[in-house]
Amino acid sequence: MAQVLKINKSVDQGLTAFLEFLLKEKKVSGVVTLKKNRGGPGISYALITRPEELDGARPLFPLMPANSGKILSRLTLRGPLKDPIAVVLKPCELRALIELVKRQQGSLENMIFISQTCPGVYPLEMSVDGDLDALASRYQDQVQSGQHIPEIRPACRSCVHFTPQNADIIVSLIAEAGLDRSCSLVLNSKKGEALADGMAGEKREQDLNSQELAHFSDHRKTARLKLFDEMGEKTKGIKGLIGLFGKCIGCHACGNACPICYCNLCFFESQPNESRPNSFRADLEKKGAARIPAGTLFYHVGRLAHMSVSCVGCGMCMDVCPVDIPVGTLFSRVGESVQKTFEYIPGSKIDEPLPVAVFKEEEFAQLGEG
Amino acid sequence: MKDAFVPNIVGFLCNWCAYTGADLAGVARLRIPPSLRVIRVMCSGRIDPLFVIKALLKGADGVMMMGCHPGDCHYQKGNFSARRRFVLLQTILDSLALEPERIGLSWVSASEGQRYSKVTTEFSEKIQERGPNPIRDEIFV
Amino acid sequence: MNGSKLPGAQDAEKSVLAFLKTGLEKRCFEAVMMSHRVPAGDGYAYVLIKDPALLEGASPLPPVIPVQGAKALSALTRWGPPKETILAVMHPCEIRAAVELFKLKQASLDHIVFLSFDCPGVMPLSDYVKNPGEADRTYAAARRKWESAKMRPLCRICNEFVPAASDLHIGLLGAEEGSAWLFPVSPEGRRIMDSVGLETAVSSDAWEREAAERKTVREKERQEAHQVSRDRVSGPDGLLAAFSSCINCHNCMRVCPVCYCRQCYFDSEAFKLPPENYVERARKKGSLRLPADTLLFHLGRMSHMALSCVSCGTCEDACPMDIKVGQIFSLVADNAQKQLNYLPGRSREDPLPASVYQEEELEGVEKPYVETYSRTGDRDGAGSENQ
Repeated sequence: MAQVLKINKSVDQGLTAFLEFLLKEKKVSGVVTLKKNRGGPGISYALITRPEELDGARPLFPLMPANSGKILSRLTLRGPLKDPIAVVLKPCELRALIELVKRQQGSLENMIFISQTCPGVYPLEMSVDGDLDALASRYQDQVQSGQHIPEIRPACRSCVHFTPQNADIIVSLIAEAGLDRSCSLVLNSKKGEALADGMAGEKREQDLNSQELAHFSDHRKTARLKLFDEMGEKTKGIKGLIGLFGKCIGCHACGNACPICYCNLCFFESQPNESRPNSFRADLEKKGAARIPAGTLFYHVGRLAHMSVSCVGCGMCMDVCPVDIPVGTLFSRVGESVQKTFEYIPGSKIDEPLPVAVFKEEEFAQLGEG
Repeated sequence: MKDAFVPNIVGFLCNWCAYTGADLAGVARLRIPPSLRVIRVMCSGRIDPLFVIKALLKGADGVMMMGCHPGDCHYQKGNFSARRRFVLLQTILDSLALEPERIGLSWVSASEGQRYSKVTTEFSEKIQERGPNPIRDEIFV
Repeated sequence: MNGSKLPGAQDAEKSVLAFLKTGLEKRCFEAVMMSHRVPAGDGYAYVLIKDPALLEGASPLPPVIPVQGAKALSALTRWGPPKETILAVMHPCEIRAAVELFKLKQASLDHIVFLSFDCPGVMPLSDYVKNPGEADRTYAAARRKWESAKMRPLCRICNEFVPAASDLHIGLLGAEEGSAWLFPVSPEGRRIMDSVGLETAVSSDAWEREAAERKTVREKERQEAHQVSRDRVSGPDGLLAAFSSCINCHNCMRVCPVCYCRQCYFDSEAFKLPPENYVERARKKGSLRLPADTLLFHLGRMSHMALSCVSCGTCEDACPMDIKVGQIFSLVADNAQKQLNYLPGRSREDPLPASVYQEEELEGVEKPYVETYSRTGDRDGAGSENQ
């Protein structure tokens, strides 16, 4: 049984009050959370050190302007944090960060994770007109009513990892009654308990509502199966892949938004991957035509080979694609297959090694000996 | 009537075992598929999954990865990695219905000239039955 | 110059395709690089076509620019020119960008013959993607009338829709609806027309008049639009507001034809700082937006590429947050280019302005500084003869 701190404010205000408490009591030197942009539209992550600056903070805002796992990896790339910082992030962002740390792309030291049971977020394009308040209140109503929100991104609609595993504190959002009057923080670790010590609110022993969450999960599983099956049908074979990626403009926005793709210089943007004059001549002779630039599918299948084992299904790739290709659905689907083959869940255990970096002497014995 | 289609097969062979085995097969005049193109690498662990993917997307009808038997790698562990990478490739191709049967993994030691002939011939026959790689004619890859 | 009226008056696209087919069949050029519909019919891509039969799905006047043609040409020729002639059918801004890339040593123009046309603009990529069928129809109608109302914002204010560095040019302005002229702009273009068998007997006067008139109107519209942009981004607040919703995806940089660096400076080690840097900055201001240095990226990119910016607007097409990045960059680019009397893509012989100088120049810019700092006595007394 975990300890739960129940703050008598709405879930947003309660969490913000908690962050304020952390800063004021100097339990942390800063918090990273979503904050409305000052002087312009939009919302982004911010590292906040002064309590007054929490004014525009919207920790549970239903948008993911970037996968914060990527941001936190960047923050700690050159070294760990020297003082504790509390980070409010979604389950897929935390999983991505763990996958990055396994690749030596950051450090978890001195980071305290506040996550949530995540109902999903809206696609970025819904925020383009700038009316964030309307979005926030619409989201609140939908989550409060317990419904499965129809407008959330496809990646979210098919996500079954909405309960974070490695968070120190979990804000209970899904299937939680009374979000407009109470904020329930599940203290999931010793660090979490220490952080909450002294914060005003009721403490009691309670776990997350496992039955409701299981029910929620069933719905998500069904949606996931349906989405993946449809994608499977659509992308069968080379014709299917060309149909999906025909309009791809090779901008690599998907790879750059992906938290797992961390390479300074992506192989597919490096010299060895550039076409030489002769390669075009060969294609012209054989097929009568050649697409320019070459390597559209090579990029996607190659990127799958590189990162599918760690794909956390966050869907950033789809949010940034200029031609609306459902990259994320395809990648999540292949990712799931690969992860099943290696019995691996990305971002689940920090000390579980990457399946492509290790091997067993006895495994896949049926291969190669035929 | 002989079938017109001769499969284009690319084989990545490790220097110490598979390539030497292939050489032995050649010296002994054993049957080897006529259009198997061999690319020698020092270890099967050198085979980047991207090599295989590139070969397929360029229209190779089949791609083989060949190296030392597990436990016998000249560099101790390379072929264990190769085995995992092959599984990764298989899973990805299977997920995309891109004919995972067009790739193959075979362990062939330096003295197994006969085995080299057998596995390459069998693989080539399987590919011939399958037919040419449909990616060959595609412009928008 | 004298050119030819392309045979076949139903549709300009069809008559251009017929010309290309003849050219390929007669081996006047080995291949054509042009836009081609993708198999699913929901987009276009550049394809190098050698087999005339494959011209069927090709479009010399496509409704969108998904990949900037100069970038495609650079992918083709970065490592060396083709051995035989390739005819590249590109929009004016793509040709101008190709010339810039040539100067930046990222593309070869040997054996490349440019075929341009009077470009009414292209549709915003997101509009096209939402409903490709409808967008195709809208564009076809707009192209026949040479109307730019539904085109990208930067296309609507484009005043360089007739490129100077072309070899062959398809004249649509002033022609009867559905028909097109073909003019040889360079000797190479003339050679091709001769080898295809097209006479060069029709005067270009009618076309030149119409094009000049349109250009005058456009220049005025451009100034007005730039003024609107300028008002919007004035001052630090204006600029911050304009880029406020930027998520730092760097799409704009990656699709830009002029941004050719394999690893952008703003993605490099220089921007991977120890955590203390960010924490300290956050402490000073109380809050630090992450990822940091958004404005630095945009202003920095401007300083790197504004002198070669051809205002094509591909950046704006690629932005997932609908920021008017192209319009802002175009404003800055125009001003910077004017200062140095430079028009990107006008000619291969114009050196890149940042790579040359004259010993005596830009006195207007220099003067205030010379005056201030050579004044003696008033400021710090150093060098004053009265001391």
